[in-house]
Amino acid sequence: MEETDADLVARVRLGDRRAADLLLRRYLRSCRAVALAVTGSEADADDACQDAFVAAMERIDSCRDPARFGAWLLRIVQNRARNLIRREKVRRSEPLEENAAAGASSAAAAELDELRERLSAALATLPEIQRKVVLLYDLEGWKHDEIARLLNLPQGTVRSHLHHARRRLRQILGERSVD
Amino acid sequence: MDELGPIDLSPLDPERDPERWDLLMEATRLRVAAVLSERAREPDSVRVLSGWARSILAAAAAVLLLLGGAAAALGGHAPGNPSDARRLALLTESSVIHGRAPTGAELMAAVEAGAPR
Repeated sequence: MEETDADLVARVRLGDRRAADLLLRRYLRSCRAVALAVTGSEADADDACQDAFVAAMERIDSCRDPARFGAWLLRIVQNRARNLIRREKVRRSEPLEENAAAGASSAAAAELDELRERLSAALATLPEIQRKVVLLYDLEGWKHDEIARLLNLPQGTVRSHLHHARRRLRQILGERSVD
Repeated sequence: MDELGPIDLSPLDPERDPERWDLLMEATRLRVAAVLSERAREPDSVRVLSGWARSILAAAAAVLLLLGGAAAALGGHAPGNPSDARRLALLTESSVIHGRAPTGAELMAAVEAGAPR
């Protein structure tokens, strides 16, 4: 039987690395989806979710409801991601030369990069809450009720955000590119 | 395509680039291992203290309020002198070692022990 979050948190508090690893495997993808929704950048999302997970392990004693570790962790991710983009805004007074060394990628990789860029640009037009909902639902496979619990929203509101996010993304991307 | 159907966001799937994803997992694991090792070196008492630091602060505030009343009831013994502080500190330390917060009765007994007879 799969160990509950509460069991794993209790073990992490005793210093169990394997329990921490299980939590990492369980939540890193969701962490990244939330971080991506906030930052809009995959590289920033990687940094934010890694920092947040490490911070969560450092502060594991302050997780008041270990059964809801996931929601607690994702709030840390959200805060870290927001702090990161605030710092990035200050730092990025000059344009970055992104992926300058990636010129030799194959045609398939280039196509994938282009798709990623288009999706990221389309997602960037959505409000943050809609980005979170659509990434968690359509990319991470979460259910409405799980997202509702995480975001502290009624399920109906989650459905509405998902509907509006999908409609907007389709308008921007066009049906051809998302089929 | 159904208007309400899912959007294909798979190009944003982090595991589409397994090398990068594994690197992220591994880097996170290493940092977590360092955190847990540090935790193992930390004395238990520090963790216990940090666990109920808020309760202690709340209790300390309440005790300060009570001390004034206790001093009046005990005939003018002024609270907050060095020996009171030492007794309260010893009581707190002992409680930390035993992993529990001091009770109100224990705190009052520590204060009364220094009162004029």
